[in-house]
Amino acid sequence: MFSFLKKDLLVLWRDRKEVLIALFAPILLVVILNFAFSDIGVDDPKNIDLSVAIVMEDDAEASMQQIEATIQSAPLSDNEQQTLLETAHAIVPSDLLFELFLDDSDLSQWISAERLTASAAAEKMENGDLDAIVHIPAGFNYDVLMQLLLGEVTDTRVKLQIEEHSLQTDILYDIMDNYLNGLNLHLALDHLAEGNIEGAMLPTGGRELLNDEVEPYPYTFAQYFTMALSTLFALFIASTIASKTATEKRQRVINRIIITNTRPVSFLFGKVTATFFFTLLQLLFVCVIVHLALGIFAGKSIEFWFITVLIITFFSLTVAGLSAMFTSLMLRMNSINLATGIFTMIIMLLGTLGGSFFPIGEMSPFMQSLVEWTPNGITTSLFIEALQYGTDAPLLAAFSKQFLLFILFLLIGIFLFPERREV
Amino acid sequence: MMIETVKLTKSFKGKNVVDEINFYIDEGESVGLLGPNGAGKSTTISVISSLIKPSAGDVKLYGKSIIKNPAAIRKILGIVPQEIALYEELSAYENLKFFGEIYKVKRSVLEERIQEILDMVGLRERQKELVKTFSGGMKRRVNIGAALLHRPKIIILDEPTVGIDPQSRNHILETVQKLNKENGTTILYTSHYMEEVEQLCKRVYIMDHGKIVASGSKTELLNILSSEDTIKIHLNETSDDILKKIQQIESVRHVDETDDGIRIISKKGNNILSSLIHTVESQGAEITNYQIETPSLEDVFLHLTGRTLRD
Repeated sequence: MFSFLKKDLLVLWRDRKEVLIALFAPILLVVILNFAFSDIGVDDPKNIDLSVAIVMEDDAEASMQQIEATIQSAPLSDNEQQTLLETAHAIVPSDLLFELFLDDSDLSQWISAERLTASAAAEKMENGDLDAIVHIPAGFNYDVLMQLLLGEVTDTRVKLQIEEHSLQTDILYDIMDNYLNGLNLHLALDHLAEGNIEGAMLPTGGRELLNDEVEPYPYTFAQYFTMALSTLFALFIASTIASKTATEKRQRVINRIIITNTRPVSFLFGKVTATFFFTLLQLLFVCVIVHLALGIFAGKSIEFWFITVLIITFFSLTVAGLSAMFTSLMLRMNSINLATGIFTMIIMLLGTLGGSFFPIGEMSPFMQSLVEWTPNGITTSLFIEALQYGTDAPLLAAFSKQFLLFILFLLIGIFLFPERREV
Repeated sequence: MMIETVKLTKSFKGKNVVDEINFYIDEGESVGLLGPNGAGKSTTISVISSLIKPSAGDVKLYGKSIIKNPAAIRKILGIVPQEIALYEELSAYENLKFFGEIYKVKRSVLEERIQEILDMVGLRERQKELVKTFSGGMKRRVNIGAALLHRPKIIILDEPTVGIDPQSRNHILETVQKLNKENGTTILYTSHYMEEVEQLCKRVYIMDHGKIVASGSKTELLNILSSEDTIKIHLNETSDDILKKIQQIESVRHVDETDDGIRIISKKGNNILSSLIHTVESQGAEITNYQIETPSLEDVFLHLTGRTLRD
């Protein structure tokens, strides 16, 4: 099989036109689209500059004393009380909010936050120096911790005062909303861990609570289309590999291969493996070059790149499976043009359903459900989720789906592969 | 007997392209398979090489059927197809290496064998160049080389010299001759170039319309025409009427116009020259030159099939 792999890679590599299209066309398109739609990329933190004041109306110390007293008087064992007390001190809700706005390096790139008194904040807003004020109401810490630790329902609300409604303040609203949802999520976790609070996954800091588990980190137009377009072009690699089979068939090379007593599956696996490696190379190349050209993944962690490589690897597997299917079909069909036409139609359909031409988020719910069953759709949406949620993205489910598609395509390819004397 | 076909038949869409043919090849022999385009040569070869299944009949290798066990013949067979069955994007060396590897030639001997073959086909100096940059003749030489990597006992060459320059053609013919005479490789050579078959093959099968119409050594085949003379005449002017009138002469069996005159096959011994002169002159033309030829295999083919090899 290694001989076939080497041969297929060499043949593909020397087809300069195909190589250049596969490697550079997505890069060119992403760069063009990025410039053309750069004004629309409002999700890009670089385009956002918000001034926010945080007004603390709660006496955190008093709230904490109050919660301590409540816990100590609760009908709980000493051990349980001790755990709750430690937890309460570890997740002071107002501290989490301050950490988010004042200490978070990512957020501080596009939000300038400061702690002010109510009157100073109101004055600044009147002068037009503030975009929003976050009011932490009196009793906030007590109420949230009561709800979080002891399940007492309260109606405490953080108030977000906005000077002028805009898309940017919407984002701020979303951050606040996610922050509160994050607290509620942990509340739910507490209930799940009832009677065994030590084992519950309680937050240790506001940053983790907000960014890793709840808040979707914004992604940019360029980031989306880097993956959406390169996966589309990668799908064409399966078609290209199959068209090479047509040449082998036309030139009777395949007859020569058949009479060497080589197992047909070696021929097919050569194609599959070559497609896998070339797709992997293409996608990595596009991601790296687009990043170097536009800096679209600047500041991303090693984990992000690791996840991206994993996503690309699983997608490459699926494309490799698709090449097995296309290769077998090509061998079975008499008309090369008809076969190529069918492959192009399949790829364009996958491209449309998989969000390669327009963002998945813009699609109807029905279309979005179809996205989840196209190789490029799964990959693009997973990539976006990885951008938003990092390691919390549903990697396993998506990888399993990709692997299933790979196996399915491969089995169809093997099933359709003609017997030696039918080629 | 190394290879034998028994009533071998192959049909496509109800038409017998190969029609109950019987022939044999002994080990070490060089056998020619002659026939015009569409005679069924390539289909016969494809069945023998186990590329397609016959519709009926059998192919035997050392007396054993290969229809159910094609692997037996594949091990000892090298095939040089009519098409250039090579990867154009790979170099001559890379092509040979790839085919050598899939023929499972041991790594330790493959390199040496590739160089040996490149020497044989005269392309050692250009081995690193891509096949797509080669002339038609050079490609055909690599095409042959790719069939020799596993040292086959029998090589089937399907019109290996079509459309190439005389130099490459000579090189190929010399290579085939060398393989047969020096290495003892059995050769089945198909062509519609009569002179190649005459040069290379001890025995010839002539195919037409899917059937074998004659077989034997060159002498045996020429004896078919022992009762005929071939006369070639040149006229100052020619027309269809003249050809028709010549055809009507009693002893004339066949008349056709070739590149260098009119060829007439007539019964041996009948002096038809005076009749010819009379017929031509009656049509207002003149014979400017004539010659009586020794019959060739081409004449035999014409006699048997009523058409030339290049029809």
